[in-house]
This record gives sequence, structure tokens and C-alpha cells, in this order.
Amino acid sequence: MAAKTVPGVLASFAHVDAAVEAISGLKARGFRDLTVYTASPNHEIEEVLDQPVSWVRLFTLIGGLTGVTAGFAMTIWMSNDWPLLVGGKPIAAIPPYVVLAFELTILYGSLCTVAGMIILSLVKSLKGRPFHPRFSDDLIGVFVPCSADQTPAVRELLTTAGSEEVTVHGA
Amino acid sequence: MTAIVHQPHHPTQTHAEVTRDVLATLSTPSRAYYMALFGAVAMFLIGLFTFVMLLKEGLGLAGYTPPVMWSVYITTFVFWIGIGHAGTLISAILFLFRSPWRTAVYRSTEAMTVFAVMTAALFPIIHIGRQWIFYWLLPYPNERWLWPNFKSPLIWDVFAITTYFTVSTTFLIVGLVPDVAAVRDKVSGWRKTIYKLFSLGWTGADSQWRHYSRGYLYLAALATPLVLSVHSVVSWDFAMSIIPGWHGTIFAPYFVAGAIYSGIGMVLTLLIPLRRVLKLEHMLTEYHFDNLAKLTLLTGSILFYAYAMEYFVAWYSGNTFEQTTFWRRAFGPMWWAGWSMIICNAFVSQLLWFRKIRTNLTSLFIISIFVNLGMWFERFVIIASSLSNDYLPYAWQTPAVTWADWGILIGSFGWFGMYFLLFARTFPVVAIQEIKEMIPYPRKHGGGH
Amino acid sequence: MPDQENVSRRKFLTVLGVTGAGTAALSGCSTSKVEKLIPYLVQDEDQVPGIPTWYASTCTECAAGCGIHVKTREARAIKLEGNPEHPVNAGTLCHRGQAALQGLYNPGRTKGPMVREGSAWKALEWEDALGRLATRVSSAAGKVAVISGAGPGTLSDLLAEWTTALGGRLVRYEPFDRTPERAANRQVFGVDEVAWYDFAGARHIVSFGADFLETWGPVVEQQRGFAVAHGFAGQGMAKLVYAGPRMNLTGMNADEWHPIAPGSESALALGMANVILSERTTAPADANALSGALAAWSPEQVANTTGLTPDTVRRMAREFISATPSLAVAGGIGAQHRGAIDVAAAVNILNYVAGNVGQTVKLGAGLPSSDGFGAMEQLIAAMSAGQIEVLLIHDANPLYALPRTTQFAEALAKVPFKVSTSLVLDETAAASDLLLPSHHPLERWDDLRPRAGVRGLMQPVMTPVFNTRHPGDVLLQAAAKAGGALARFTAPSFEAHLKQQWGAQPGADPGDAWRSALARGGAYAPAPAARPVQLAAEAAASVTAPAFDGDGEFVLLPFPSSMYSDGRGANRPWLLENPDPVTKITWGSWIELHPETARRLDVRDGEVLTVRSPHGTVAAPVYVYAGVRQDVVAMPLGLGHTEYGDYAKGVGVNVLDLLGGKDGKGFLPYVSVKVDLEKTSEFRKLGRTDGNPRQLGRHIAEAMPLADARKGMTVEESLKQMGEEHHEINTELEHEALAGFRDKQVEKQKLGAYAEEHPRWGMVIDLAKCTGCSSCVTACYSENNIPWVGYENVTRGREMSWMRIERYFEGGTEPGEPFGARVVPMLCQHCENAPCEPVCPVYASYHTADGLNGQVYNRCVGTRYCSNNCPYKVRYFNWFPFAKKAFESPLDLQLNPEVTVRARGVMEKCTFCVQRIRGAQHQARLEDRGIRDGDVVTACQQACPSGAIVFGNVADPGSRVAQAKENHRGYHVLEEINVRSSVTYLARVLHRTEA
Repeated sequence: MAAKTVPGVLASFAHVDAAVEAISGLKARGFRDLTVYTASPNHEIEEVLDQPVSWVRLFTLIGGLTGVTAGFAMTIWMSNDWPLLVGGKPIAAIPPYVVLAFELTILYGSLCTVAGMIILSLVKSLKGRPFHPRFSDDLIGVFVPCSADQTPAVRELLTTAGSEEVTVHGA
Repeated sequence: MTAIVHQPHHPTQTHAEVTRDVLATLSTPSRAYYMALFGAVAMFLIGLFTFVMLLKEGLGLAGYTPPVMWSVYITTFVFWIGIGHAGTLISAILFLFRSPWRTAVYRSTEAMTVFAVMTAALFPIIHIGRQWIFYWLLPYPNERWLWPNFKSPLIWDVFAITTYFTVSTTFLIVGLVPDVAAVRDKVSGWRKTIYKLFSLGWTGADSQWRHYSRGYLYLAALATPLVLSVHSVVSWDFAMSIIPGWHGTIFAPYFVAGAIYSGIGMVLTLLIPLRRVLKLEHMLTEYHFDNLAKLTLLTGSILFYAYAMEYFVAWYSGNTFEQTTFWRRAFGPMWWAGWSMIICNAFVSQLLWFRKIRTNLTSLFIISIFVNLGMWFERFVIIASSLSNDYLPYAWQTPAVTWADWGILIGSFGWFGMYFLLFARTFPVVAIQEIKEMIPYPRKHGGGH
Repeated sequence: MPDQENVSRRKFLTVLGVTGAGTAALSGCSTSKVEKLIPYLVQDEDQVPGIPTWYASTCTECAAGCGIHVKTREARAIKLEGNPEHPVNAGTLCHRGQAALQGLYNPGRTKGPMVREGSAWKALEWEDALGRLATRVSSAAGKVAVISGAGPGTLSDLLAEWTTALGGRLVRYEPFDRTPERAANRQVFGVDEVAWYDFAGARHIVSFGADFLETWGPVVEQQRGFAVAHGFAGQGMAKLVYAGPRMNLTGMNADEWHPIAPGSESALALGMANVILSERTTAPADANALSGALAAWSPEQVANTTGLTPDTVRRMAREFISATPSLAVAGGIGAQHRGAIDVAAAVNILNYVAGNVGQTVKLGAGLPSSDGFGAMEQLIAAMSAGQIEVLLIHDANPLYALPRTTQFAEALAKVPFKVSTSLVLDETAAASDLLLPSHHPLERWDDLRPRAGVRGLMQPVMTPVFNTRHPGDVLLQAAAKAGGALARFTAPSFEAHLKQQWGAQPGADPGDAWRSALARGGAYAPAPAARPVQLAAEAAASVTAPAFDGDGEFVLLPFPSSMYSDGRGANRPWLLENPDPVTKITWGSWIELHPETARRLDVRDGEVLTVRSPHGTVAAPVYVYAGVRQDVVAMPLGLGHTEYGDYAKGVGVNVLDLLGGKDGKGFLPYVSVKVDLEKTSEFRKLGRTDGNPRQLGRHIAEAMPLADARKGMTVEESLKQMGEEHHEINTELEHEALAGFRDKQVEKQKLGAYAEEHPRWGMVIDLAKCTGCSSCVTACYSENNIPWVGYENVTRGREMSWMRIERYFEGGTEPGEPFGARVVPMLCQHCENAPCEPVCPVYASYHTADGLNGQVYNRCVGTRYCSNNCPYKVRYFNWFPFAKKAFESPLDLQLNPEVTVRARGVMEKCTFCVQRIRGAQHQARLEDRGIRDGDVVTACQQACPSGAIVFGNVADPGSRVAQAKENHRGYHVLEEINVRSSVTYLARVLHRTEA
């Protein structure tokens, strides 16, 4: 763990409905900044957390558009930079260049998408938030950042929801 | 590898069992594994030696016989590119179609894709006359400001393949990240440090999943048209020329179908033994192989249709050049290649109409071998046989196949096998997180579904 | 290939060095042309580096004695072309003549004088070597003999005087001489010489086995004449009928080929003469005297012997007489059976009866002929009788060229001292005791009198490549050393002797005569008027069917190859790799079998058979060929050397091993044995360059009947008339689209460098003139530094011939259908829509502004896509570093500096001789004028003896090529695929008799 830990409560759940119940409870109590660990995406949890749709698609769009422009620009400019006649075809022949524009669209599109995934995931720093190896295995983890005075209530809520284990992370 | 117990479509294990079973594949491998790896490396060295000889003496060592200026090397190139198509098809297209059976197999097929493309990408370099200046095909700024000719299908090829390689590799890595994290959290010692590095700090937090799932979806969406385009472009290497037997509008769909057919064939050839070696019997079940077999049947039938069409069009066109080419394909000096292609692809695939054959791994394995053979011959026929008899009868010659051709062919299998084996040993060949996605978490109220 | 160039440059300098030394040491005699040699230190004003210097000389590759122009660059000969002023070849040259360069630079040449010590050779100094010769001849006491193959000229005169002075005997020996014809002329006309035939003037030609387009007589001149007579010039054309058991190149070009039984030629000729006499009243009076003797040769009688129908014989006779002056010719090795004299005599009678003698058959031209086989037989007898002490062999290789049965080897062994002046260590040289290697004809002074009124001069065009010496100087210096009987040879050098000989000629100031002779390559007087001749009384001597040794199943037909000739061509890769014009086989011997025979014996192409005659056996692969009779097997002569350099050694078999020399009559009967064939288990892939010998109805080599051609029909129309639709791939709609596409292209091409006015280079090839002789192929090799690739690679279809002659067989598939062949010279068509260009990923293949299909070797990475996409398959790939092997030292000295030597891994092809185009353009710019028509002459066009190729600027409507493209016979090969080729072919015209 990093030197500076975020104070709060970490609970692990074996049952998904328990986790959902806990999360909705916490949200009802006004806890927004939760971190839920799952081994695979789970739609029930997504629903209860209901966050806005990811911005990744914007990156994809921009990448794609850059690709298609670059594709046509490169081919047309390069053909005219040293104009040579081949097979009686026009110097800048659009139909064949569509292929290259297409390939570059895909290339830039996907690279930007990946970039987007990484950048956006880094936007919210998880530094100092506790993590347990079993979260990548079979348990669902819920971490609630909260001040010391809130701790008992949160712990209470999580346990009643059906948490297997609740640990407190002090500052 | 004989008949397998019937199992329900959805895995019955718990999340913990899934992790355990998959991680078991990464434990100390069997003797069989090392033998296989050794074999692969040996084959690769044969190929390396041949390539050195080609560099030293010249391409003439291979059986090239003008007018057959492309022969075994380009054949093998297209063969590997084709194999490289199953992976992305299964991982991307089936992902978009949400077909549940892909999850268990897509990781291995995706890996196969990447390595197949890596193999294929060697051939354009091996087969050119002056291998040491292959980079002249790339549009890099040089002192004379000479650019490549973007009208040439070969340049399209360069772009299509580089794109395909990049995208499919990214796709593979992205898919791997959560699983690597899962491994990281189980192993210890130096391995942990390495996996930690590759897991890119993945924790499975909702903030990560949120972008991950979306991004993965878009990647799939982009990869889908790419798969279809890449082999279309490869087919245009031929279709854009004026050679009878090459110059056909049917080529793009025909090649894509062929590619998928060969790809699935190779998937079967790899998975059936792998399943045994890595003890994944209860994850890769009859259900999966049945579906793979059906896909093979479908694409095989498309090929059957394509072959029929080629002959029909040749006859119907009344174009004497086309007619001669196709006549000689079946009855010319290279009849043997022509018939192996038709029998292995069009006919053998039809056996898969029978469920018994589809669900019997032995028969499936044998058929998959036929598929691989058949698809190699298909490319050999299209390329070498068409070239060997085009417009001027005076120039006709029948190509030979020499040790140099064999050397490179063998080497390519070694190179591919080497990477695949190393991968299977290092990363989860079954997508842990996607399997888990299919297994509902236990519930405290009326547990399970 | 930079290292390639370095090698050649270094080699070149060493040669110069040697020369310098040589010049100093050798009192400058052998290199007497030193004032013409340019060491770079002292530059001669008529030698500008980079600018070729041309020398006129004379070709000695055969007896024809063609005049040549030698192109030299930086004092080394790089190309041979015909001398336009020379009456024999008028500016063109055959492949054998051009390949003389590979004789000059042949790695197998003897590097200097050597003496045999036991089985080894020891190098000598020239002084020492000459001393040995001198002592031997002076002590030989008249027991001296000389075998010389040199044509009539000052050297052979000197040789004769020298020998006579010693009291020895000289035998002028050429394997392929024309003794039988001479004998026949003596017999029929009482003129002891070979006649000269005016092919150009003939309106109907019948050849009785004489291969006048390939190997018999002054071929280049005859090709030229034949092109005039047989080429279609708008109205009429001569008809060529060929009668002989094998369809050779002449047979291929014939309008009718009659495969008559070997030995029945004379019967046919006399039969025709008989028909003519019996049907025609106005025959020469004395000819009628023959009618009695000829009556025996009734058409029916003739039909029996020849295997023709009586009507055919009559028809042949009537056609022969109806188009006068006609011409009948006979002779040549391929028809030299024991009745050869009868054949020639019969043909003489036929010509006489038809009134051709004096018209197309001219006696008095004084064509040379050697002493013949008879003289050689006598010499052999003398040798074996031990009457010869010293034997000098010059320019001849009898040990190879004489059948074993002549016992020449044994006789030679009996001669104590044998001297050879051979350039290469050939069979005879290898068996001799002293080697005095002679200069190559291109390195020495000499002259040649191929016929009355023609004196061709030879001058050294460069420093000798090796430490050789002029045979004339050898004789003179040996004489000086020997003294005695030879004391009277006082000329300081052969050059001086020659000049003095020429100066002695009648005429104006000898100085002028000499200078003009040097410039013009000799002195040419108009051919003397034909000498009127009378029919000798015993003309119609009784003709007996020729006898054959042995009782084998097949008659063996050894035929001379137009590449190897009498064997001297066998060490020149250019000739070994230039496919035989008929069979298209390279690098080896073959056995021609009729398909029927092959089926009966159950053998396929390439199966090795043993040929067994009473005199010996040889084994060679089979070539199934419908152009031979079923009762005949044919094999090419000139191969199977056991010495004669690495290129020749072990290539093919020597058919002479099957022959028996016995028979008398003063000539060697080549067609004189019957053989049996035995199967072996071996198989040897033939070095064939033709993948499929049939056109498959693809209209590649078009031809039309004379009648249609006269009407000015296009190929299309003519085919329609014959009920054969030209297959049209494109629909009307597509044609419109293509036309539109074309216009779009034209406007889009108006861009950048392509915008301004440019010439558009194009070519027209007249198939009515092209005989398929393949001179253009060798011309292309020598002009464009094309590497030869050798047997192994040829069997893989990797030969690099930018210009190839495609030969397609016609008919002969079902019985009764006449068998024939057509040829198409195939080279890069420089298409306007070149399919090779757009597919090249690096623009190595692109279109130049003046319509050439450019190939940038340095840019080529070798994807070979261009070749795949080339419908004409005229692009050639360097699978190995071919040039390294092909131009091994000193052959690299021949390389044309104007043309890049291609490296391994790049594609190459015909460039329309772009170096010549640019050269002409630069010249035009220097003279501040535009390009004139005829400024650019491609190598193939320059060499073509028939003048079938026209090249020039199509954009200039006045140019020859532009006009030729208007010709109604014009068509493009594979027009339907719309690549818009720049090469137009003019359909061949067939002069067939409508039955």
C-alpha cells in the first residue's frame, strides 16, 4: 500500500445481492465515492452504481476521423509529390486510396480507443485505496471512504447487508 | 480424445474453481509440452537456415519456374494470414453477436491469430528478390523523397497487415489485463512481480470496468470490419491483376470465407490436443467443438459454392483464357493440387452435417487436418496453377518445389508453434473474467438461480 | 553490380599493361596496329572515352564472308553489326557472326604458345616456340602438310606458297563445304564452281532439302533476298515449296512442305523437269535433247519413289514454270546423302529446263569451295603411311569434324610433329605437340575473298586479349628462322605483306585505295555478269538411289544446327542458349522422332534413347516432332565436344560418331546410315524454351491467304471469310466504356513531365518477312548485357532472352492435315495501359513521357508482381547473380558500358534499346535539330537480315513505323485485354494453292 492511505471501510461480499443491497444503502446515506471491486463486470452492480456512459467512444470517433483524413491526405499528397504515370491511371486515383484510408481509420481508431481506456481509467486515482487479492477471484469488494466518526455506522450497514468481512482503514 | 461427456452450455464451477483450473494450466508443464516446444524450435531453425541460404545464393534456390513468379512462399503467406482470421472473428464478431460459446475458446484463438499474422508477415520479406531493402515498401521520408505506389495492391497489403497485426495484438492484450491481474493475485515470488507489471495496476474497480467494457466493445466493433477487409485486400493482390483465375469479382468474399474456414480448422487442430494437455476438458466441451464444427461446415459450404461458381463463370464467360485455366486446374499438369483442394475443402467439410462426426474429437481432429491441407492447396492452386498457364502458351511452365520451399514452409510452422506454446504456458488460455461473467455470483436469498 | 564493373575495369587495364609490354618485346609485329591502340596516358585524337569507335572488318564465322562493323568502346570490341556497304550482307548479321565476340573473349582461349611435355603443356616464349617450328619444318624435307580452314585470302595464299616452298601439301578443309554442287555444275554445265542464286529475283522457289535460311550458303544474303521475294509488298509474293524429309527453318517458312523420302530429291526434280518438257514447247532447244532421258521420270514413277501423288508432282512442275523466273535449289549437309551430286545435277537440269539459268542461277560468281573430303582422305592415307613429318593445322578442327571411321585420329598419331594455331584448345589442338595460338580475326590483319569482285578486309580493332600471334607473322618469322626454301619470304610482317598485296592491286593511288578499303571494310566491284553455260552432253546421267549403311529401321538425318554450325559455335553461350529456331531446344543434343514413331516405341519427350548405327552409338533425349518423316530420326550436328573449352565440353553428343566416311565421290555423306533405337532407363529434361507449342486458337501468330491479303483485308475480315470468328471477349458496351476510359486517360496524362510534346516510340514486326532465324536474339543479348543462365536454369524457364522468337506449330494433328509452324518475335510490348506498372509497389516499373515502359533496376525490390501481371510474359528476373557467372573474365570485356549490368533479385526486360534512343536524342540536340526518322535503330532491328522490324516515332505521321502501323495486315497480340501494346504485328501471308 502507498504511504498515504485513504481512510474508510472495506467490505468483501460473497453474495452479489448482498453487495447490491450494501451499495444502495450507502448511496442512500449519501456516500458517493465508492469503489467496488469485481472479478468480472456485473450488470446488477453497474445498475446500482449507475454511472454515466464512458467517454471512450469520443476517443474512438476522433481517432477514426484522424485516420481517414490522414489516409487520403498521405496517399494523394505523396502521389503528387513525384507524379509518375503507371498503367495509364490518374496520378491520384481515389478508388485504390479508399483501401488505405480505411485501414488507417481502423488503426487510429483502435489505438485511440485503447489510449482512451487507459487515460479515463487513470482519471479517478485509486491510490491509497485498499484491495484484496480475492476480489480478482471470487469476492466482491466495496470500499467506502469515510471519516473516523462515520465508521461505526458504515460498518454496521455493511455487516447487516451481509458482508463476510469488514475492515477499517484508518488515516 | 474420443467421445466427450455432454455438458450444459454454461460452466457449473464457481468463480474460485474457474480461477484455480485456469491457473493450473500455468503450473509446471508436462514432458509432452517440452517435446513439442523443442520440435517447434528445431523446425524454426531449419527455416532460419533456409532463409540464410536464400540471402546468400538467391531466390533461385526455390522452385520458381517463370511464369510462376509466386509459388510456395506466397501460398504459405496467404495460408497463415487466413489462419489469422478465426481469432478475431471469434473474439470480435461473435462478441458483438453475444454468442456465449466463444468465451471459452476466444483467448487461444486470438493468440493463434496474433502469431499467425506474425508468421505471415515474414513472407513478404522472405519472398522478394532483394530482402535487405524490403522497407522500401513503407512510406518513410528518404533522401530522394521517393514514395511507394499506393495503387499497388501490395502496398494495400502492407497497410492491411500492419493494421491487422497492431489491432489484434492490442485486442489480445486488452483482453488479457484482468486475467493477468487474477494470476498476479494468486502467484507469488518473481512471477508475481512480472504479472504485476503486465496487469498495469488492474484491480477490477468499477471505475476501471466502466471504461474497459465500453472500450472493449468499440475495439470489437472496429476489429469486425477489419477482419473482413484484411483478407479482401489479400485477395485483391490477385483479383486486381489480369491473370485468368485471379481476375475474379468473387475473390473477396471467397477468400474471407476460406480464411475463416482455415482459421477454424487450425483452431480445432490446436485446441483438441491443448484441451488434453492442459486438462481443460470441462471448460472446452462438446458444446464448443460442436459450434466450431458448425462454423467450419458453414464456411466450407461457402467455399464449395465459390469453387462451383468459379468453374461456372469460367464456362459461362466464353472467355477462352479463363476456360483453359480452369480446365487445366482440374486436368492439367497440376491436377493433383486442384483435386486435393476440392476434396479437402468442398467435400470433406460436408461430413460435418453429421452430429456424430461433429461431436467426436478424433474425427473432428482428422477433418481439421484435411482443412489445413486443403486450404494450403487452395492457395497453391490459385497462385501457382493460374500463373503456370496464362495468355501466351509459349511461356507456360509447371513450377517445381525444392528443398528451399520446404525449408521455409517448415520453418514457418516452427516459428508459429514456438510462440503459441510459450503463450499457452505463460498466460491463461481461457478468459477467466469472461467465464466468470457467465457464472452468476451466489446470492444469499435463494442462492444461485 | 558494382564489383562486376570493377573486375572488368581492372581486367581491362591489365590487358593494356600486357599489351604495352608485348609491344615493347615483340618488335611490335603482332600488335602492329599499336597506333590504333589507346593507352589512356596518351590519348589519340580519334579516341574519345565514352564515344564508340567503329572499325570495318570481315566476319570469318562461315564461308559467306559478311562485312562487319565493330563497335569499340575504350579500345575493346563490344558489338558486331553488319556493314551496310558490303554486298553480301548489306548491313545485317546473323547470330553466329555476332557471337564472334564470345570467341574473342572466350575464357577457353589458349593464353600463349605452349609445347606438349608428356601429357602436360608447358608455356613457351614466342621466340622459342617459333624456333621449334622452324627447325622442324626445315628438317622435315618436304614431308610437311597443312590443313587450313581459312577462306580464300592473302593469308591462305601465303600459307599455300609457304607450304609449296617446303614441297609440302595444303588441304583447304571446311566440313560444311559444297563439293557435291560443284561436282554437279561440272557435270551438267562444265563449270567447276558453286553457283550464286538470286533469291530476290525469284517468283517461285523450290528447295530440295537446301536449308538456305539457316545453314546453307550465304544465309544472311539469302534471307534478305527471300524477304524481298516472299515478303508481301502489297501485290504478289513468291511461293516457297520445300521438299525434304525434315521440316527445318526453310521448311517452316515454306508455303508447302512435302516430306519426301530421303534420297528421292533427284527423282522429284527430274520428274518436274520431265513434266515441264512434256507440257511446254518453248524450252531451250538443247534442253529438249533431254526429254528422252527424262521420259523415264514419269510423275507416277516419281510418286512411287517420293511418296507424293502424281498430281502433286505435276502441280509442282506447273507452278514452277508458270511463275518465272523461278528457282530450284539443292544442297546442304542435311541432304548430303550418297546421291547428293545427282540431286544437285537434277536440280540444275530443272533450272535449265525452266530457263532459270542465267536468270536466278548465276555461274561465274566464283563462290569459294574447299578442296573437299576427297583431298582430306588422301592426306589421311599419307599420314597413316608415315609420309608426313610436320602437320600444321590452322583454323580447322578435323579431329572433331571427321567421323571416327575416317581413322583421322590414328593417322594423326602417326605424325611426329603436329602444330596447331587454334585459338582454343580444341580436339585437334589437344592432340598436337606445339600450340601457336593465333590472334582472333578481330585482333588481326587479313582479308577474305568470299566471291569474285568482293575483297573483305580485316583489321585489328583492339589489342590482343592474350599472348597470341598472327598466324601470318608466325609463318613469316618461322621462315626467317628456317631460311632455306623459306628464305624468299622476306616481308617484315604480315601487315606489310597484306598492304603490299593490296597496293599491288590495279587501281588509283594505292594509298587512297587502301584508306578507302580500311574505311569501307574492303573493295567491292559489281558482281560479274553471269557466264552463259551450255548443257553438257552427259547431263542427265543415270540417277541411282543412294545407298545407306546398315539395316537399321530408321534413316539417320544429321542436320547442321544454325547455332553450332560445324561445331565451332559450341563454345559460345550466346549460341548455346539461343534456342534452335525450329525445336526451341538449348544446351544439348536431341533425337527428333515422329509422334507416330514415338507412340509405337512408347517414348516421351526427354526419354534418353541409344542410337545404334553400324559405326557407333550415341545416347540423347527424345524430342517428339511432327516435322520429320516416320522412317527418319534427325539429330543436330556440332555438339558433343571432348575439348574446346568448358562451355562446349560435354554438351550434347557428336552425331558424327554414327557415320561411316567411306564412299568416294569426294564428299562426306552425312545422310548415309540407318540406325536402330534402344530405350534406356534414363530421362533428361530437354532445355526447351517453349512451354506449349500450340496457339490454342488464341490468335497470337496470325496469317492470311494471299488472296485475302491482295484484297487488302484485315486479319479480322480474312478470318471471318474463312468462317473463323475472332473470339471477342468484350461486349459492345464494354468497348464503349473502354473508349471512354481511353479518353479520360489521355486528358489525365496531360500532366507535369507528361504534358509537353513527346515522341511515342513504337515498333512494327512483319511476320511475312520474319523467318524466325533468331539473329535478333543474339543482337539483343550483346547490346543489352543479358546474362546467359545455363542448362539447369533454362529447364526452369529462367532464360533471360528479352527478345524471344515464339514458335507455334500448326496442323499435323490428324493424318492428311499439313503440318507447319508460325513464329512471333516476342518482346516487351511497351503497353500504354501496361498492367505491370500499377502493381509495382515502388514505382520501379513506370511509364516514361515518350511512351516507354521504364524499369528502374535500382528501385526494384523484386516482388515480381509485374511479371505475374504481364500478359506477354516478357519480364525476366535475376534469380541468382546470373551476370557474375555469365560475364566471367574476360567475357566481361564485351559488356556494353551504356547498359547497366543487372544485380541479383531485380526484374529486367526489353527497353526498346533506350540507350540508343537517348543517344540519338542527345546527338539531335547537339546538332540542334529534332529526331529524324531512322535516327534510332534498335539492336534487333539492326540485326534482322529480313528487315522485318521497323522502329520509330509513331507520333510522327511521316515515319516509316507510323505508316507501317496503317498496314491492313496489322494487329496486336492479345488486343482484347486492352493493354494497348506499342508493337504492331503484320500478319504472315500464306501462298497456298487452293485445292
